[in-house]
Amino acid sequence: MGSVVVEQLRKEFSGVTVLQDINLDIKEGEFFALLGPSGCGKTTTMRCIAGFEAPTKGSIMIGGKDIANLAPNERNCGMVFQSYALFPHMNVFDNVAYSLNIKELKKNNLFKKIGVYTRMLNSKIVKYPKHITEKVMDILEYVELTDHANKLTSELSGGQQQRVALARALVMEPEVLLMDEPLSNLDLKLRHTMRNTIRRIQQDLKITTIFVTHDQEEAMSMADRIAVMKDGKILQIGTPTDLYSKPNTPFIADFVGTSNILPGEVVGTENGLTTVKIGNQRIKSASPTDKKHVDVVVRPENIQVLNGAKDQTGNTFEGEILLATYLGSIVRYDVKVGEHNLLVDTTYESGDSIKTNGSTIRLSVSPERVLLI
Amino acid sequence: MNKFKKHFVGIGLIKLLIYGFFLLFLIIPLLSVFLVAFTNQPINVFGLLISMERMQQTIDQFRNASLDNFKALFTYGGYLTGLINSLKLSLIVSLWVLVICIPIAYGIARTKMPFKKTIGALCTIPLVIPTFISAYAFIIMFGRSGWVTYIYEKFGGEGMLLDPYTMTGIAIVQIFFFFPYALWPMVAAFKVTDASLEEASRNMGAKGWLTFITVTFPIALPGMLSTMLVIFAVSFSDFGTPIILAPNDLNLIVVDAYREISGFFNWGGAAILTVIMIAVAGVVYWLQNYLLKGKNYDILSGKPKEIKLNDNKALTIPLAIFSSLVVLLPILALATIILQSLATTWGKDPLPSGYTLEHYRTIFTSSLGNIQNSLILAGGALILSVIISVFVSYFVVRHRSTTLDFMTTIPLIVPGIAFGIALIQTFNTAPLQLTGTALILIIAYSIRRLPYMVRSTVGTMRAIKQDIEEAAVSLGASTLTAATTVVGPLMLPGIAAGSILVFVTVIKETSISILMAPASWAPMSLAIFQNVLRAEYYSAAAMSVILVVMVLVLQALANRLSGGNKS
Ligand SMILES: Nc1ncnc2c1ncn2[C@@H]1O[C@H](COP(=O)(O)OP(=O)(O)O)[C@@H](O)[C@H]1O
Ligand SMILES: [Mg+2]
Repeated sequence: MGSVVVEQLRKEFSGVTVLQDINLDIKEGEFFALLGPSGCGKTTTMRCIAGFEAPTKGSIMIGGKDIANLAPNERNCGMVFQSYALFPHMNVFDNVAYSLNIKELKKNNLFKKIGVYTRMLNSKIVKYPKHITEKVMDILEYVELTDHANKLTSELSGGQQQRVALARALVMEPEVLLMDEPLSNLDLKLRHTMRNTIRRIQQDLKITTIFVTHDQEEAMSMADRIAVMKDGKILQIGTPTDLYSKPNTPFIADFVGTSNILPGEVVGTENGLTTVKIGNQRIKSASPTDKKHVDVVVRPENIQVLNGAKDQTGNTFEGEILLATYLGSIVRYDVKVGEHNLLVDTTYESGDSIKTNGSTIRLSVSPERVLLI
Repeated sequence: MNKFKKHFVGIGLIKLLIYGFFLLFLIIPLLSVFLVAFTNQPINVFGLLISMERMQQTIDQFRNASLDNFKALFTYGGYLTGLINSLKLSLIVSLWVLVICIPIAYGIARTKMPFKKTIGALCTIPLVIPTFISAYAFIIMFGRSGWVTYIYEKFGGEGMLLDPYTMTGIAIVQIFFFFPYALWPMVAAFKVTDASLEEASRNMGAKGWLTFITVTFPIALPGMLSTMLVIFAVSFSDFGTPIILAPNDLNLIVVDAYREISGFFNWGGAAILTVIMIAVAGVVYWLQNYLLKGKNYDILSGKPKEIKLNDNKALTIPLAIFSSLVVLLPILALATIILQSLATTWGKDPLPSGYTLEHYRTIFTSSLGNIQNSLILAGGALILSVIISVFVSYFVVRHRSTTLDFMTTIPLIVPGIAFGIALIQTFNTAPLQLTGTALILIIAYSIRRLPYMVRSTVGTMRAIKQDIEEAAVSLGASTLTAATTVVGPLMLPGIAAGSILVFVTVIKETSISILMAPASWAPMSLAIFQNVLRAEYYSAAAMSVILVVMVLVLQALANRLSGGNKS
């Protein structure tokens, strides 16, 4: 298992640049997510690593070795495709054993080669040797598919197919595991279970994993670190908490979690607090900036509702509730403050009363929670 | 070398070989036949590449090249008459097929005609009988001592009801045996014609027949015209019917071309006729595409709607009777051949004077070789076209190779006789003397059938996602191993169905067999043809029945395979 280092990667398709300045430094055993909206180049990045696309520029190293000269079948990258890409004419066992067959094919003499080849076409004619059977059954047990070994893949549910795809990639003991939106074809509930399954296996095996997704919640809940991509570039790389608390662009602030993003103008700095004018309101922020025009970012859950309590932040606003939405453990208010709308989340405990639409509300936010970008 | 690139070299080599194959056996022969039309002598394309002497000869040939042949086309009556007669024949046949098919297609597509299923099934019979067998069945029925003639005379007619050895005879055989080619596309056209438009017309008070003439018919028209062009092309390229029925004084271009080359060894004459045939077929093909351009019926009609079927007995019963009468002739032709094959003798009587299996025994003792030849040749063509079409479809689908896509449509246009002549003259002499070998026959059969095979393999290939192939490669397989262990097995059902059809059509193939097969490799079709020429009708009939049975069985098998694949 190895680290993955991508340097200055650039990819053009007939003159059109779809990736540029991609730099990644993924550590051994790390679970790394590529996050970004569809079309931003996640799949292309991954295909360059796997060898299915040749980079226009830049280098890729796996386990410290430059792999530019390796064909895709020599890179030892386990892949899990969005469509699973299981072999529909083979049963579960044969699917999983595929890479082991290929390894046998490479090391044996001609006579044995023919045997292995025949087995790949029809495993009823030539039997598997013990070491393969054991290895396949081990991994099937690991993904809880022992009972389904002899089924055709079309007889399995989506989640089971997903696990076959995973087992098939894992059995080859890859240097890195590449997964391209592996959960997007599953229903919501299954998706949550599979997140845990994948994470558990990844941590058990300490396998370096690159996980592509457009779902921020998925990336945040699974990955050690995340690279957020947009329009073929990487905007920010960091741990989930980094990205959430210190987004470096309004795009990320909005894409990772929910944010109130308001354009403002810096009017002064005093005692480490920057005052920003938003319309005819003023807000103090503890985050330093040297720009004149900034985006003010405030998470909805960081805004307090002052139910008659005394303000301790120096940042208070008054507004009118346009809409109150009950979301279970929280209530989200859409509040009109000046000419802007703010989302405000408050925790809800049973028995609490929900403010009615149209009523006036007083809000406050600590300067530490006001981010200037 | 960069290993990343090397990964693609093996497959690149195969691509090169495929291009080489098409160049050698399709492009060069067609170009060279075009040149021969000027030089009047065969050009040894491959010889001139390896010998200076040959090169000099060829240069001289070109010095003496002239437009004489083209002039002869207009001065020497024969060639021009042949062309005009052929065009006339094709026009008549395609018009009549259209006229016959409109009611049947309408009946099947839009009405609750009685016995619809049965009639539909019977309409496939003409397709399993090679035309030269139909033509000869026609002789047994309508000829001087045919049973139709007998009945006709009994009812007071004089001479023959219809002389098979005439243009009319040829036209009738073609009409009744080619109409199914037009029927199914027309049924489809009638089905997709927007039913809501018709409804609108009817709501506005138009009568049923008025709706048909003003709405249904015009919308179906482009589709109909294009199917008419299909029939025109099929009739124009058909060799089986005219070679049996055309009398000596009736010039038809396919027969003329055949006689020039196999009778008189007139290379220049055969070449000019070949060029003309290809030109005509090319124009027809172009017209057909032009007509259908931008006319996608799916878009025209949106989603297929439930069409209300017409259940008016006053319409459906006449339609059913008419349709049955049309399929009756091919059925009678088939029955006649079966009876003939079982007859001791069958003179000018409604039925044979006695029955015997003797003719079949003769076939299985003395003509077993022909059956064997057919099977070997068809098998060879099957293997070759499977290999080529699998790779071609790989390149067309995965590498988006438009050149290969185009090359595989060329054989669709070139008439069999024309292609045969091109091959014969290109491979006539050393260093690549292949004329008269089984190899060139197999190659010719394969290339002729390749368009159909490629179409079906391209379809299957498209259905296999690239992901699956890449998954295999990411698991360590080379492109070749991935192709053989994953892509290949997945394509198998499609390949199987397609290759059976190749096998069937090769067994039925007439023009190439008659033109190119040497005596030592005579397939069944050539044997039947020669028996008919020698007037050995009984053994010809028995062999024909065997051939038709083989075709029927294999066709059913192919349908089974492709049908079972779908569900
Ligand atoms: N083979 C290709 N040829 C041309 N353009 C491509 C090709 N593959 C991807 N692209 C383009 O590259 C961009 C990134 O695509 P992709 O990597 O698939 O995005 P993502 O996986 O993030 O949705 C898209 O604009 C897409 O249209
Ligand atoms: Mg993608």
